[in-house]
Formats: sequence, structure tokens, C-alpha cells
Amino acid sequence: MKIIVPVKRVIDANIKVRVKTDRSGVELNNVKMAMNPFCEIAVEESIRMKESGAAEELIVVAAGPQQSQETIRTALAMGADRGILIQTDVPLEPLAISKLLKAVIEREEPGLVVMGKQAVDNDNNQTGQMLSAMLNWSLGTFVSKIEIEDDGFQVVREVDGGLETVRLSRPSVITVDLRLNEPRYASLPNIMKARRKPIETLTPDELGVDVTPRVDVLEVNEPPSRQAGVRVANAEELIEKLTNEAKVL
Amino acid sequence: MEKHARVVIIGGGVVGVGTLYHLAKKGWSDVVLCERTELTAGSTWHAAGLLPLFNMSYAVGQLHKYSVDLYKSLEAETGQDVGFHVTGNLRLARTRDRMDEYKKYCGTANTIGVPFELITPSEVKDLWPLINPDGLIGALYHPDDGHIAPVDVTNAMAKGARDRGAKIYLQTQVTGLSRTPSGEWRVATNQGDIVCEHIVCATGNYSQDTSQLLGISIPSIPVQHQYIVTDVVQELKEYRESGGKELAVLRESDASYYLREERMGYILGPYEKGAPAVFADGVPATFEKDLFPGDLDRLMPHVEAAINRVPSFETAGIKDIVNGPIAYTPDGSPLLGPAWDLPNVWLNEGHSFGVTAAGGAGWQLAEWMVEGEPPIDLLAVDPRRFGDYARGPFLVAKNEEAYENVFTIHYPDEERPACRPAKTSPIHDRLDNLGAVWGQRYGWERPNWFAPEGVDPVDDWSFRRSKYFEHVGNEHNNIRENVGIIDITSFSKFRVSGQGAEAYLDSLVARRLPKNPGRIQLCHVLTKSGGVRSEFTVTRNSDGSFYLVSSGAAERFDLSFLNNHLPDDGSVQVENLTTSYATLVIAGPNSRRVLQKLTTTDLSSQSFPWLTARDIYVGLAPLRAMRVNFVGELGWELHHPIEYQRHIFEQLMDAGAQFNVGQCGMRAMDSLRIEKSYRMWGQDLTREYSILEAGLGIFVHMDKGDFTGRDALKAQLANGIPQEFVTLEVAGITDADPLGNEPLWDGEKMIGRATAGAYGHYIGKSLALGYVQTGYGTPGTKYEIEILGDRYNCTVVENSPHDPDNVRLKS
Repeated sequence: MKIIVPVKRVIDANIKVRVKTDRSGVELNNVKMAMNPFCEIAVEESIRMKESGAAEELIVVAAGPQQSQETIRTALAMGADRGILIQTDVPLEPLAISKLLKAVIEREEPGLVVMGKQAVDNDNNQTGQMLSAMLNWSLGTFVSKIEIEDDGFQVVREVDGGLETVRLSRPSVITVDLRLNEPRYASLPNIMKARRKPIETLTPDELGVDVTPRVDVLEVNEPPSRQAGVRVANAEELIEKLTNEAKVL
Repeated sequence: MEKHARVVIIGGGVVGVGTLYHLAKKGWSDVVLCERTELTAGSTWHAAGLLPLFNMSYAVGQLHKYSVDLYKSLEAETGQDVGFHVTGNLRLARTRDRMDEYKKYCGTANTIGVPFELITPSEVKDLWPLINPDGLIGALYHPDDGHIAPVDVTNAMAKGARDRGAKIYLQTQVTGLSRTPSGEWRVATNQGDIVCEHIVCATGNYSQDTSQLLGISIPSIPVQHQYIVTDVVQELKEYRESGGKELAVLRESDASYYLREERMGYILGPYEKGAPAVFADGVPATFEKDLFPGDLDRLMPHVEAAINRVPSFETAGIKDIVNGPIAYTPDGSPLLGPAWDLPNVWLNEGHSFGVTAAGGAGWQLAEWMVEGEPPIDLLAVDPRRFGDYARGPFLVAKNEEAYENVFTIHYPDEERPACRPAKTSPIHDRLDNLGAVWGQRYGWERPNWFAPEGVDPVDDWSFRRSKYFEHVGNEHNNIRENVGIIDITSFSKFRVSGQGAEAYLDSLVARRLPKNPGRIQLCHVLTKSGGVRSEFTVTRNSDGSFYLVSSGAAERFDLSFLNNHLPDDGSVQVENLTTSYATLVIAGPNSRRVLQKLTTTDLSSQSFPWLTARDIYVGLAPLRAMRVNFVGELGWELHHPIEYQRHIFEQLMDAGAQFNVGQCGMRAMDSLRIEKSYRMWGQDLTREYSILEAGLGIFVHMDKGDFTGRDALKAQLANGIPQEFVTLEVAGITDADPLGNEPLWDGEKMIGRATAGAYGHYIGKSLALGYVQTGYGTPGTKYEIEILGDRYNCTVVENSPHDPDNVRLKS
């Protein structure tokens, strides 16, 4: 089985995101970037499948500017086999990314796509769903457990109020949630080896996909700053305030 | 926020907070710290938290020692855990030169009381079981230091400061600094203005933004420093879980990295080649508490070395690469002390090892501000050790160079290549063709020595006698026996003139000024405690003005002092002649014969005695000839308009041809002066030793009226002078000489330290100058000097072992 893992380059999750002074977007200059944490979980899970013998090849795909190559390299250092960069400086929306991924998937013919449930930059949570619809593949979202079966996958989904176990027929798109695994860190020798692993660079044109944005961003604003809290003297006062002021009890 | 404070500190990193803490501790509670955002948000937060006691500098070593002691006591004082892991630290050596460096350091460590051990490779393995000791020849071990949590130690000092009444204002950005009509400072911030007496700048990465506010160029900009944080390392985990104690911080100097434990994993920090300086024009508004992307290519050579040394590093998962800006200066030492040209502005900037230095730097700065002077000799970190050349591209190139040399061997005769040449005297190319091997001080190119025909004009740095030893010896002896030329254009030169010049100058120095026109005297500016702040060779001019010469490295240090003490009434002018006047020295028994050929002025001692100056012509050039020199022979310093230098030089060379006139570089000048026991300002003469201890009482006139330091000297005269200056002859050493900072031992009792040393090529002895406890200074007294780890017998000799009666000088 071949697995494709789409990965996204985002602002490092530990960095405070700032809005540009002209409010046209968020500041990316001089900002530390990293792989979207949910994508890391997807990469880790796929590597484990490969290590268990359930998969033969693991291909990471990123769409975005040239620097997205660094994100692919991170996945290669963790253990992926090769990478595909769909290079464009156009800001990509979930629909465009889904179309790009569909084009790559049609060329590579994997048995499984494992990807993050969402990226922490825009929190869209759309790409996996759109991709499965376009491919007409089975879909498991918010997945916290994957078991490989002969003709498909049994996955556990984290849904409101509990867990849902679903059986998916092959080929599938699985979007992963936080509790699926704890991603590994690459060692330095593996990081260096990853530099010699192949990365193919494509463009949206070569894939025949129009990535023109369909959404206009009018303005980006910081969320309102949080009001300072009050210190309560004891638990009784806390209960009193939660009951009478906050009215949550 | 208050409207007035005694001190406003700008910057809430560990350095600013350390200063606040110590000012409050000294009793100045009316002190305020303004922090742009949050405490530690500049570079403290991403510091690796190392606390190395090791430092080659006598001054910086003392700052680090103080910090380590202070941090150990902070939790008890403030209740705040500072995360101090006393793991010790281990510096590895692969080469003999590296061991020499450690041994040289050990001498300094002994003089300042830092405990250490030199250990063998097998002892290294015992201390650090996960190491591969192949290729090691030894190591330097400090048992008492380790690492600390930078944010916690900052918070602990902040608490200590607040407990004593100091105030810290966060989210308070300083937007302007200006003088009030009454001479105070107005600090404008986004939260309102504060008027204060003193400003302390502790702005780290923001030094160039601070420079803009102050209108001076602070010689510090940051360089990117990255370190790697690993995931849990299985071997380390097993070692620790089986009862192994936390591993010492490891430094493999020869591979330029440090490595320490962090949560069962490692932190590896290299000082790489090619790390870029940043923020030369200030910090961009978009850069807040941010980091740069890691650069693996720069890291890899060090990682490979680390994997070889610590094999378990190979499989360690890389959790993070932290690449942040760390302040640097052109020589890698911080800027601690007063700013120049701006009264009551203090700098605590340029800290590359800020966490280690913050305690000591805060302590010394607080002492300086409150008491008027710091207790230890801080010239090595004085902000005025750089001049106006130290800005922009100079900072970029030199700071990057300082960064990549953090772990290179710091030879005592090291000269670094970046930004060379910057300042040159007009005969630079001439001297170059004569084989000059160059050094740089204060931006100036100076010949260190001259390679004769057939010898490569290349330096060969060493802690021992180097390949150039023989050639320096020949230059030295040529001055003693024949005649040589020395270019000392880099020396600082000032003219003090105006109606009030005499009274002004007289109020500054410890002796009466020369009475007659043309008379030359050595005059010292003292500190309150009677130490030597500045040394000037003062000549009275015929028009009543004075000509002052001081060390080349002291240009800004001395000029800002002279300017700061000018009377307000405009009756005195100080003019800096450093770059309009050049100086050539002609010295040696044949110097009169050479110079007399070029001038109609009678150069005989009768007409032109020692310690006098005359305006004469040499060939076409009008110049000031001063019968004084630093090598202790018959000779003249020729101070001339700089445009005549080539002409004068060629005249001297032509006239000297029949005597085989030679050149003499700075290294021979140093050994020559040591043969004469001439004390060097900044090395033998510092604020730590009173001028009486230095044995220069003849340059002090206690009865001349008040001068700075007089009370302290009076007290010493009444109660006894604690230490005395000695010249020592070292026995039995054949491949090295004292260089300064060697401990002097009477059995197991340390009785003093050498401050300088050299081989006296003419008298054929290895010599040291230094200070000992009173009672150990009588000629003939014997004790031991520790040189590169070995002890040698030494004997006190008479002051000026060469020509003690100055017969040749006055001939």
C-alpha cells in the first residue's frame, strides 16, 4: 500500500501570532515556521504503518511557497520516503488544495491518504472532507485510532459526547486528531539523510488546477484582549460567583 | 508611574534586573526599571542558562565568580527557586596549546580565587561516563558551576529588588531621552515621562535602538546563536535512572560546542562559522519575542563532532532548534560602565553571556554609580575601550568574528583579521615592505614585529616563546646597542589650552605640572582610592598650553574624562590631536648621531636634556622633539603633523643607513620597557593598586593641594601601604615567560600576582612585574611564580634591572 500524507507549513504553534500593521493578514516575516502539529501526527501514524509492514511507500505532499520544502524535509527526516512540492505563491484555500491533492493522488494512486484534521493557521477543517468528496473515497475524520483491515480501515472518531467506531472501505481519506499518537523527533543523522531523499516540484499549472482564491480577505484583526480576572478568597466565594454572576452553575 | 526617580534602568532582561537589584541593595531604592514588554522578553528567555566560571579575562572572571555565588544564595533570600543545577563543567582539550590555554587561565583563576582542577582523560570518563574520550589529552574541571533557569533567576532578582523598594514597569517602552535644563534626564515612555538623575541602558538586542535615543553609537549588535534541544536519550535515561548524577556541562572547545543535560535529553550549542550579525539598524517592529529559523548547515560540523564525543547524541530526536539573537561586541566582552560624552548615562550592554555576567555586572555598576568607582579593574569591559570606528559594518564583521572565536584558543598574542586595516599611519606600506607583522589596537594597525629577509612575515601565536622570539630579541638588542625606529602614531594626543588650562589640569593630576616651557612630566589621574585612572605625558608649551600624550587605547577613555571635567566658563579647550599628529621614536645609543645629521638644533644633553621638548626641524618637517621614550635608552619621540611622516621616516632611514638603523615593533617595545620596570597603564597601573603601591610615589605631590585620591594615599601613608610593586627575575624557565596574571606563591600562600612579563633580551633574563604583599618586595627575596601550571623560583631584583641609574637614558 502506498500512503500519501499532505503536510502544511504554518507559524510554529509556540509562537504568538501577530496581525500585520495594515491588517491585511498575519505577520510572516522573521517568524518561525513549522509543520502543522496535526500533520505531524499524520506523518507519525503513516511511518508506524510502514514500520509494521502495512505500507510500502510514504509520500508527503505540500502545496505552497518554495519554503514548504522545509516542511517536506521534516517529514522525510521522520521517515517518509519522498516528497512532492506543488509550488505556488498564491494563497491557497481548502478547495484549491483539495483539487491539487486530487490531481497528485490520481497520478500516484495511493491506497490511503492520512492528513491532519485541520491546520492551526486558519482552522478551516475542510480539506480532508472536500478531498474525499472529489475522489469519492470513504472518509474518517477526527480519528484517534486506526486499525488496518484486509479491505479497509477501522477507525475511532472523536465526536461530540464520545467516540464513534467506523469501518472504512479502501481507498480512504483519514483526518487525524490529537490523541492518535505522539510524533517522534527526527535525529540529526536522519535529518541529514533526508536531504538526499527526492522531492519533486510541480506547479498548479502542470496539474491543470486553477488555484485563484475565491474568498476576499477584507481585514484581519486581533481578538479582543481578555479582561483581567479577579482573585477570590475561597471556594465558597468562587461557587457564589459562578452561580450568581457567571450563572454557569 | 512616578514623575521622578534617582535612576531609570531601560531593559528588563537579566542584566537590567541584576542592576536594579544591586542598586536597591546598595540602598538606592528610588530606582525604576522600564521594560518594553515583559521581563526576559529580549534574549534572556531563550538563553541556554549556562554559568561558566571560565573566562580568560581577569575582570570578566571576577564578574562570573560573583554571579555564581550570588545565584546560589538567591533562593534563600527571595524564596524563588532559580533552577541552579550545580553540575560542574568540563572543558576538554585535544592539543597542547589548548592545555596551555587552560593552564594560563588557571593562573588567573588562582589570583581571583576560582576553584578548578586539571584532570586526565580517564578522570573525564569517570565524571562523564557517556563520553568517548578518544583523542583527549586532558580537561579543565570546575566543580562549582553548572546551569540555571534564566527566567527564574531574573524573577528572583526582580523580587529582591521590589522587596527593597525598587519599581518595575512592564509594557513601558522608552520613546525618548533628553536633558532637562537643570541637567537631569527626561525619560519619555508610552506610559508618561520620568525625570531622573541617572540612566542605565541594559537593552541587549535593542542597543542600536538605544543608540538612536542617546545619539551615540553603542558598539554592540546581536549575532544569531542556535542550540539544539533533544528528546529523551535512552542511554542517558538509563544512566540517570540507575543512580548516575547529572552530567557536568561539557565543552569541547576544539570543536566549538557546549552540551548539557535537559530533561533526560541534551542541549547542544555550537559557536559556528558564518552565524550572521543582526539588527545593525535596530530591531524591526515585527520582531518581538521571536526566533530565527534554524540553520542546519552551520550546525552540522559541530553535531558530527558531538556525535563522535557523545555517541548517544546520534540517535537523539531533535525536539527543537532555538536560534535567537544574542548581543555581541567586537571583542566579545560586555560594555559595562559610563557612556562617553553623556553625563550620568551608564551602559550595561553587549552581554553575550548575560545570565552568567548579570549578577557581577549589576554589582560592579551599582558600586560604580553609588560609590563613584568600581572596586575591580574594569578596563577590559569599559564601554570607552572602543572609538568612533566601532559602528555599522565594523560591528557586523567584528561581532561575527568574535562569535565564531568564542571557543578558539585565546592566545595572548592573538590578532584577529576582520576589519583590517582600518586606521593606518602614513608609512604603513613602507613598514609593510620592511616585513612588518601587524596587530590592531583601537582600530590602528601597529607593527608587532618585523620579519627579516627570508622569514615569512606571519605571526605564530603561542602561550610560550614563539617563532618570532628571536626576531623580537634582535629588535630589542638593536635598540639597546645601536638605533631603531618605532612608529607609535596610534598614541592618543591632546592639547589643553585657554586661560584656565593650568588650573584645570592641575586639579586633575596628582603632581604639580611642569613649571617651565618645554619641560615634560609623567602625570597621573587617580581614582578616589588612589589607583591610577589615567596616565599622561604632559609637556608645557611655550604659549602656556599643554600637550598630553596617553595610550592609544585610551583615546575615548581619556578624552571623555577631560571633556567631562571642563569648567563651564569656556576658559579651557581640549583638542584631540590623535589623528592630526603622528609620532616616530628614534632610540638607541646611536640615535643622536642619526638625528643630529637632520637638524641644526644642538641635540647634546647640555642643550637638549632628558625630559625636555623642543620644536625643531627634521629635513623639511617642523616637529616637536621630546627627549623621552618608553624603551629606556637615549632617544627622542618626534611628534609631527601627520602629513610629514613619510618625509621624516625617509630622512631617518637615509641618515641611519650608515648605522644600519632598524625597525622596532610593539612586542620589542614591551620587552624593552619591562627591562626598565616601566609600568604600563591599564596593565600594571590600574585602579586596583594605589600609585604608592605601584612605587610611583615620586610622581605624587601630597603637598600640592587637593586632588582625587589624596585622602586615600594619606591614609596609606599613615597606616601602611598594603602591597608593593616588584620586578622579578624568573629562574629555570626556557620555553616560556610570564605574561601577566601569574600567581606568586610563598609556599602555599599566594602573596601577589604578576601583571606583566617578558624576556629581557638584553640582560638575558626572564622577567615579571607584579604586586606582592608588603614585606615581599625587598630585592633578593625569593618565592615562586606559577607559569602555565608549573612553579618557578623567582627573585626580587632592583627596579629597572637594565640601566638602573638611567645613565644611558641621560647620556
